Amino acid sequence: MAEIRLKNVSKRWHNFVGVDNFDLDIADREFLVLLGPSGCGKTTTMRMIAGLDDISEGEIWLGDRMVNNLEPKDRDISMVFQSYGLYPNMTVYENIRFPLRVRKVPKELHHEKVMQAARMVELVDFLERRPAALSGGQRQRVALGRAIVRQPAAFLMDEPLSNLDAKLRVSTRAQIKNLQHTLKVTTIYVTHDQIEAMTLADRVVVMNKGVIQQVGTPTDIYDNPANTFVASFIGSPAMNLVSGDIENGTFRGPGITIGGLQINVKGPVTLGFRAEDASLVFEGGELGAEIYSMELLGEATMASFRMGDQLVSIKSGKEYRAEIGDVVHAAIPASICHLFDARTGVRIARTPGN
Amino acid sequence: MIVNKRRRPLPLTVLSTTFVLLWVLMAAFPFIWTVWGSFKVEQDFFSRDSWWFAIEGSRTIAQTGSAFTGDGYYGAWVLRDFFSSVVNTVIVTLSVVVVSLTFGTLGGYALARSGYRYTFWLLMLALVFRAMPHITLVSGYLLPFFEMNIWGHLPTAIIVLVAINQPFTLWMLHSFFLSIPKDLDESAMVDGCSRFQAFRLVVIPVMWPGVITTGLFSFLLAYNDFAVTAMLLSQPNQTMVPKIASFLGTIQQEGNVMFAVAAVVSATAPLFVLVMFFQRQIVSGLTAGAVKG
Ligand SMILES: Nc1ncnc2c1ncn2[C@@H]1O[C@H](COP(=O)(O)OP(=O)(O)OP(=O)(O)O)[C@@H](O)[C@H]1O
Ligand SMILES: [Mg+2]
Repeated sequence: MAEIRLKNVSKRWHNFVGVDNFDLDIADREFLVLLGPSGCGKTTTMRMIAGLDDISEGEIWLGDRMVNNLEPKDRDISMVFQSYGLYPNMTVYENIRFPLRVRKVPKELHHEKVMQAARMVELVDFLERRPAALSGGQRQRVALGRAIVRQPAAFLMDEPLSNLDAKLRVSTRAQIKNLQHTLKVTTIYVTHDQIEAMTLADRVVVMNKGVIQQVGTPTDIYDNPANTFVASFIGSPAMNLVSGDIENGTFRGPGITIGGLQINVKGPVTLGFRAEDASLVFEGGELGAEIYSMELLGEATMASFRMGDQLVSIKSGKEYRAEIGDVVHAAIPASICHLFDARTGVRIARTPGN
Repeated sequence: MIVNKRRRPLPLTVLSTTFVLLWVLMAAFPFIWTVWGSFKVEQDFFSRDSWWFAIEGSRTIAQTGSAFTGDGYYGAWVLRDFFSSVVNTVIVTLSVVVVSLTFGTLGGYALARSGYRYTFWLLMLALVFRAMPHITLVSGYLLPFFEMNIWGHLPTAIIVLVAINQPFTLWMLHSFFLSIPKDLDESAMVDGCSRFQAFRLVVIPVMWPGVITTGLFSFLLAYNDFAVTAMLLSQPNQTMVPKIASFLGTIQQEGNVMFAVAAVVSATAPLFVLVMFFQRQIVSGLTAGAVKG
């Protein structure tokens, strides 16, 4: 049980920057999710915390210890590897027991702890098998079981659910959440599945190309994206982004005009709004265009429009029907709109009184 | 296997079986011939008149009263003390295998896991030393060994043999270690192992086939070596191969050649036992690298 502090941590290989100036305090017992596209440096960050990769710059603190120069074994963490890292010559039982064995946990406790972990990841029927005789999802659960068999200062989980089927993923997700709650262990969890991030996290860190884009609660990140990258990465579908110009509080883009926005902004901007916040109307509205495509999602219907070179999606009730090519209108009130700097992509905050 | 056999057309089966049988016969014949001949007297086995004598053994019957004789073995083992060279061989080969495997696994692992460029050059250098004829090394060592007064002793020969063998074991084990994913050591270290514990508890158990295969090659090198042991060992410390050579080379005395033949058979037998015993590990070790790339 410990807080984890990363102070301006960077990782470079020659001139390639894997993680750039990562600065974050993770509270004790916090569930932190690292979210980002493939290759953005999530695994690298974890490996630095675990002590498997050297840190090019900065400091990592576990509790009150600076661990930059500590061996992985002395950092008291357990990790689920993206590639499992199971021991092929040992049975599932021995794999899960291994951390207890090398950490000199009293022998008489082993069986009970292993069985408890195995039950938690539903592997009781496979204890005598070797990893080679397991499916990808079962192997992943062995890795998970091996991580939770003892109570470390922190859990590091690198996409521990990526190979499970949809049903098992939901139940294991719930188990991990519950486990973290009961064990009260600081957890860093890597994923590029945003539903996982949203459901599990106390706080989410969105990364891109090695740089932290935004840190915040799931709601925060969803409602107030810090820049266009976060806006276009979070949510399904992602936030609609339309480029255009703003003057006197009125935004004008291709086929779209929205009034009542901040009046202190002027010039080219990117406007964003979420598909489910806007609505389709018969008359008026801020947008009028031909439907480019219709998607039936089950619980809703989604209409897409082609505005210039961008695709804009708007959700509507599940009974809504229209044909491709029909001209429809959409209401996009200023209150649901976010403005971003057209060049840097950074959010333009709404200052009081504007 | 059975399914395959049933599907294969008959002529092909006949052809391939014949080929394999022929090959086995050709490969095994010299050995079988030597084993057979080792129970004859020299005038039969090395007869200039006809090779038929070796089969019938008429002179063996004339000299000893029976078609087979153990005189060769008696001469080699009892009269010429072949046993002490067997003991020497055991000491030399075991030491060479143990020492080369110890350094080979540790060094091969370190080289395989090191991210630095110099590993490549180290391995290249090792290859150069391996490629040199053994005799060049030995002739260079000879004078210093005389002067240091360590010539003729078993440890001296062991050190030289290890030096000759080490580059090869290093290379071989290095490539075996490369085929073992890094995650394995890494998860072991996170689980609480030191680097060395990860090596011992997790990597080596997976490496057994590779270690055994490499060990076998080291064994064969030390067991079969002539150049080093012949030049560096004194008469009482000789291993089997130079001893056999000395049976042949000393002043011609009747029966000496047959001592050599009997000794050759005695020296070959353990190899068969060994290969049969480790057969499975050797095959899996030889193919493991190939499959994993
Ligand atoms: N040993 C290395 N040498 C050079 N570059 C590396 C090395 N390891 C990783 N990288 C680079 O660092 C970047 C970050 O890699 P990382 O494994 O952290 O990505 P990730 O966020 O975990 O992606 P994924 O979701 O695909 O697992 C990648 O662009 C990768 O190519
Ligand atoms: Mg990764």
